[in-house]
Amino acid sequence: MNIIMDFKSIDDILDFAIKNEQQAADFYNKLSGDSSVKEMKNTFAEYAKEEEGHKARLIKIKDTGEYNVKEEEVLDLKIGDYLVSAKTSEQMTYQEALILAMKREKAAYKLYMRLSEIAPNNNLKNIFKNLAIEEAKHKLKFEIEYDDIIYHEN
Amino acid sequence: MDNKIVEKIQFSENVVKLIINSPYIARSRKAGHFVIVRVDEEGERIPLTIAGSHPENGTIMLVIQRVGVSSAKLCDLNVGDTILDIVGPLGEATKIHKVGTILACGGGVGVAPMLPIVEAFKEAGNRVISIIAARTKDLIILEDEIRKHSDEVVIMTDDGSYGNKGLVTKGIEDIVAKEKINEAIVIGPAIMMKFAALTTKKHNIPTQASLNTIMVDGTGMCGACRVSVGGQTKFVCVDGPEFDAHLVDFDEMIERLGAYKDQEIIAHEKHEHKCKSKHQ
Amino acid sequence: MDILDYLKEERNKDWRKNLRSQIKTKDRTKTKKVKMPEENPDIRNTNNIEVNSGLTKEQALLEASRCIDCANPTCITGCPVGINIPKFIKNIESGDFLAAAATLKETNSLPAVCGRVCPQEIQCEEQCFYTTKLKLPPVAIGYLERFAADFEQNSGEISVPQVAEKNNIKIAVIGGGPAGLATATDLIKFGYDVTVFEALHEIGGVLKYGIPEFRLPNTIVDVEINNLKQMGVKFITNFIVGKTASFDDLRKEGFKAFFVASGAGLPNFMNIPGENFINIFSSNEYLTRVNLMNAANDNFDTPVFSGENVAIIGGGNTAMDSVRMAKRLGAKRAMIVYRRSREEMPARVEEVKHAIEEGIEFLNLHNPIEYFADEKRRVKSMKLQKMELGEPDDSGRRRPVPIEGAIEEIDVDTVVVAVGVSPNPLIPRSLSDLEVSKWGTIIVNDDMQSSIEDIFAGGDIVRGGATVILAMGDGRKAAIGINKYIKQKIKK
Repeated sequence: MNIIMDFKSIDDILDFAIKNEQQAADFYNKLSGDSSVKEMKNTFAEYAKEEEGHKARLIKIKDTGEYNVKEEEVLDLKIGDYLVSAKTSEQMTYQEALILAMKREKAAYKLYMRLSEIAPNNNLKNIFKNLAIEEAKHKLKFEIEYDDIIYHEN
Repeated sequence: MDNKIVEKIQFSENVVKLIINSPYIARSRKAGHFVIVRVDEEGERIPLTIAGSHPENGTIMLVIQRVGVSSAKLCDLNVGDTILDIVGPLGEATKIHKVGTILACGGGVGVAPMLPIVEAFKEAGNRVISIIAARTKDLIILEDEIRKHSDEVVIMTDDGSYGNKGLVTKGIEDIVAKEKINEAIVIGPAIMMKFAALTTKKHNIPTQASLNTIMVDGTGMCGACRVSVGGQTKFVCVDGPEFDAHLVDFDEMIERLGAYKDQEIIAHEKHEHKCKSKHQ
Repeated sequence: MDILDYLKEERNKDWRKNLRSQIKTKDRTKTKKVKMPEENPDIRNTNNIEVNSGLTKEQALLEASRCIDCANPTCITGCPVGINIPKFIKNIESGDFLAAAATLKETNSLPAVCGRVCPQEIQCEEQCFYTTKLKLPPVAIGYLERFAADFEQNSGEISVPQVAEKNNIKIAVIGGGPAGLATATDLIKFGYDVTVFEALHEIGGVLKYGIPEFRLPNTIVDVEINNLKQMGVKFITNFIVGKTASFDDLRKEGFKAFFVASGAGLPNFMNIPGENFINIFSSNEYLTRVNLMNAANDNFDTPVFSGENVAIIGGGNTAMDSVRMAKRLGAKRAMIVYRRSREEMPARVEEVKHAIEEGIEFLNLHNPIEYFADEKRRVKSMKLQKMELGEPDDSGRRRPVPIEGAIEEIDVDTVVVAVGVSPNPLIPRSLSDLEVSKWGTIIVNDDMQSSIEDIFAGGDIVRGGATVILAMGDGRKAAIGINKYIKQKIKK
């Protein structure tokens, strides 16, 4: 990833991550807007809020330099890894949306792990690792939902 | 009585038109809808796109091509006979809107389901150009009806026995060369739709294809009809039958249509044998 | 009358008292639980004959005597349709089998079906006094239910439950599966003019297209449906409400309320690469071809493909039905591929046992991740990821987790995907005002009433894939809800 190589400062990295979270929020907001089912609209709007929460946290870190680190192991069911990627569309089913979301969260996880690797100091490494864990948790939530409903009999 | 055949016209050796009593479907069907038909107790459930209806008389029109045992039995029915089961209308109706100039391409018996679509687009105020394509003159069907609802009609035959010689793709190229087409719809054998779609794609003409895949229930239950559209699996019966022709994986569809070829050949031979022994 | 008072009144009848006094409770509990006679597994896996052949009269009498006719019959709490279980069992014990059948039909319109396919082990039998207190095998309530229902079917003296005086109020039931049939039964008993609209050409829903002959013969279902016809329920096949005619059309025809029981007909696929190759089927397609369309019979036009190496993906009852069908259709290897361990399979224990006896292979803790095909796009092999169970999560369930690098490829020429079903979208799509969940199930209140006041719903279209008996329980609840709604409407 070339962008990563262009970072000149910690702020650059944080700005990049903040932008990334905003894009994630936009993504879920779009899914919410496109859906004609009320319940789906609400669910996606919630996801968008969570991503905005991440963004707010990053902004706070950038402004104050403070953060909390929690070490956690998050289960990776890898359900999304094997699935054929869906495309966004207005007629999208919740199953398709979940596949998309699992893949997106996995990509975000990988991105933060990568950022954590290249981060110039331990503080920043930990911040990104933490964010990676957050994304992994998101993904697990989607995976469990997928596991319970789509793989009802499997 | 419901499901009774009130009129039969033999279009060619293997293609017949049936007018059938079916008052509910006659009222509720729209362009693009199909029905599932089971000819008798032993019959297979087969999907047939509705070629038209007469709500006041309570009749629908189906055009059937002899391909398997069940469709052969349907073709052999006569006026006064009753089809055991007809259910519908199924699928999503064609999205009819005013866009300007519509190019409708029908191949073989695909012209039958194309008829109500042509009619509806014309009624919505579009200029409609229709291409009717077939292998040879005898297989051109519903020409008069299509003409009635089109501004221009081009006939294409593979052997040049009627109209212009050449495939549907040539017909498309000729028309595109002389005027702007806003939207196209293609209906016919999968292979014809594949190449027609490639041609319209070359000219950036948004195109719908109406797919006729293997189905069992026709209501979303079995998934036999699944196709890949833009890399995503769709059910023709509930998501279709019309899809963006430029996104449909026609190669996969063609192979899937042949899924029961071996069994069909055996069954057909057996059926022929049974018919012969009946007549002896 | 309150239900508990009714149960007490019935229990205090002289014949029940007499029966209780004839054998000491202690002696009743000494009797061993009956064993269901079964067809020989090596023969039955080559034909379609029903596996469980049913209790003999002697077996039924003895088993019925095990029931101690509790003062507080907890078994009933485990029954979604609230059968008066002690009453029907005591009828069997007294030798009045027809009375036992009539008791079943007080609350259950499909006793011969439920006696076969209900998971009694997690319902009535789990709540049986033997299970909860004595820690002994429960009274075989399911076997006895089947016995009484079959006895009646074979007796030629099938009773038609009483119906109230006709009120000429038309109600439409949409879907002729278990939920729809249960509602129709109760509504007709209340006096309504009930029409069941069915999309397929046969009534019965999953009982006809899904569950195979070897577990539930179609003739058994037909007898029960016939009984409903005699009660006055009208059936219209090949009619899709929302398509053939709209709800408004039917309102104009005088229908005052609707019960939507259109089921969870839409099969889920896994969305893994190669899943659209030829000879990869949904379990719905595979079973429908054989069960509803008679594809295995040469005289019928519908074909079915079933090869030598057949893999069924999933661990539920549908997966068991499919894999046992594959064996019967001639598979050399008929395999279950399931992501979790055998203990966690959602299928009934009895089905798993039968499958093992019939030579079914179990690839547990395996999950397909990709299919491969020959030059004609026919599936020829599948890549399996081996799994292990992770730590229990918040819900207490241990999720299967892939073991890094543990991947194998096996030859298959037929794959049946039985991973679950989604609600049928036809009705929700035809009604824009209808509130549905993100999964497409219809949202209902406690009366099974949807967001549109004259439309009620139940069964899998509300639950998204459950059992026959839960669907029937919904149906009964909805009948009460509809009755309440109509009464209020009339008052206004």
